[in-house]
Amino acid sequence: MTNLGFTVEQKDCLQEIINVAMGLASDKLARFLNTFVHLQVPSIALVGANHIPAEFSGRYADTEAALVSQGFFGDEGVRGEAIVLYKMDNAHRIAELLGYEPGDSSEIEMLTDISSVLTTTFLNGLAQQIENSLSYSAPRILSSRHGNLSDVLQSTSFHWEHALKVDISYQLVDHSFNCDMILLIPDVAVSRIKVILDRILEEF
Amino acid sequence: MDHSWLSHPILARLNSGVIVIDDEYRIVFLNHFIERHASMALAEVAQQSLFEVFPDLPEAWLKRKLMSVLDLQSPAFSSWEQRQYIFKLPHLRPITSSSQYMAQNCTMLPLLDESTQQNFICILVEDATDAFVYQQHLSKTLIELEKANRQDGLTKVLNRRYWEEQLKQEIHRAQRYQHPLSLILFDLDKFKDLNDKYGHLGGDFVLIELSSLIGSLLRDSDLLGRYGGEEFGIVLPDTNGQGAMDVAERIRKAIADHPMLFNQQTIRVTLSIGVAELDPHHHLLHDDLIREADMALYNAKRNGRNRVCQFETKAVSRKLAQS
Repeated sequence: MTNLGFTVEQKDCLQEIINVAMGLASDKLARFLNTFVHLQVPSIALVGANHIPAEFSGRYADTEAALVSQGFFGDEGVRGEAIVLYKMDNAHRIAELLGYEPGDSSEIEMLTDISSVLTTTFLNGLAQQIENSLSYSAPRILSSRHGNLSDVLQSTSFHWEHALKVDISYQLVDHSFNCDMILLIPDVAVSRIKVILDRILEEF
Repeated sequence: MDHSWLSHPILARLNSGVIVIDDEYRIVFLNHFIERHASMALAEVAQQSLFEVFPDLPEAWLKRKLMSVLDLQSPAFSSWEQRQYIFKLPHLRPITSSSQYMAQNCTMLPLLDESTQQNFICILVEDATDAFVYQQHLSKTLIELEKANRQDGLTKVLNRRYWEEQLKQEIHRAQRYQHPLSLILFDLDKFKDLNDKYGHLGGDFVLIELSSLIGSLLRDSDLLGRYGGEEFGIVLPDTNGQGAMDVAERIRKAIADHPMLFNQQTIRVTLSIGVAELDPHHHLLHDDLIREADMALYNAKRNGRNRVCQFETKAVSRKLAQS
């Protein structure tokens, strides 16, 4: 695993920014979902995007998995693709979580809805701290019950150079809910983030 | 240069719908696209509830979505792939599309009026009918392609390649779960004479007619396939030799008793049928089972045609083992 040229200080700073973004997201989510949301401090890792399929195919090998992708783009070359991975045994909890009535909506629609909420609240928090603002493409489900997750990840991550892995574990009072989030980002965005991190470190 | 004058003409000419509502879901703005498609004027519906103006909206679901936009100040989306449309609007391709309503991609964006600090939601409605129609054609074509790939072109029963694949799978299943399985092979008697007398069209007609008649005598789980020329096979899952003999006899009789009318001439045909039962303890290959059914079929031919024969050695050896 490579640190892609991040210094120790830069990496600590990024971790801190992500912690704060996660805190903002959990606060918003708690209010939205009307339940206490406990978010563990996410562990992050920067890896080459080509490592992603191997890392995740193991974890989701013996279960049905779903993968939802959503593009994001902001100013000054900050852009990428956010991927949220779920184990499908989680899926039936999502309706409860979102407060949907049975029959309101299909399983796929619920997955794209919850993914969009998780991705945009988290990334909005992140953007706010690096003084950027983001637009989003509509979430798309890339794989659900059928098909090999690692193949899908392969074809998705192929277009990107780097991946920021963020392990997110949401614990809600009445539900526990786990998923993985991966941010796939190109070289230019990584350089941009480094510049921003250095600026924050200087100000600090 | 001041660009603010641009927004009005662009909104008016935009080929997508723009609806703005306030934080109590009251309509603040509709662009021409929505006014024209929904046959309503902004002046008439302004300040009315979105859900009263569009009574077909999925209210509970959409309110939850709109609430997320307000609470989280982040966008929400809806795709035609999951929900064909939110707003029930006619589309512009009534002839080429099988669907009556415009397929839509919708985006719900948070808006803030800086001067009053009031929150609004902008709903963008994109016409995705083209994509929807292409997708429908594609799904239909894929289904037809898949069917063509497993069907015999003339008789519409399974083709040989697919039928043999299914036979292998059924044998595997029967062996694993220790279920009986039988195979029928049958052959149209004196097919060459038939072709000489009525021409190849007459021969083809008979093959089509008997395939459809036999198909109607089988269960859904039985697999009828064209093995070659005038030879057909039927895989009978969960059926022992005696059961298969009964089915075969029913088929033989039905065909023999069924005169076919071709070009004002009555054609009568008969079948010779061979039956073989899988012995799950002897791990038979599918070729072995076909060979046994083929030998039984040969016996039916040799014994005078229009009859059913069962492959016998297993029964004989079983009797020998008992004595």
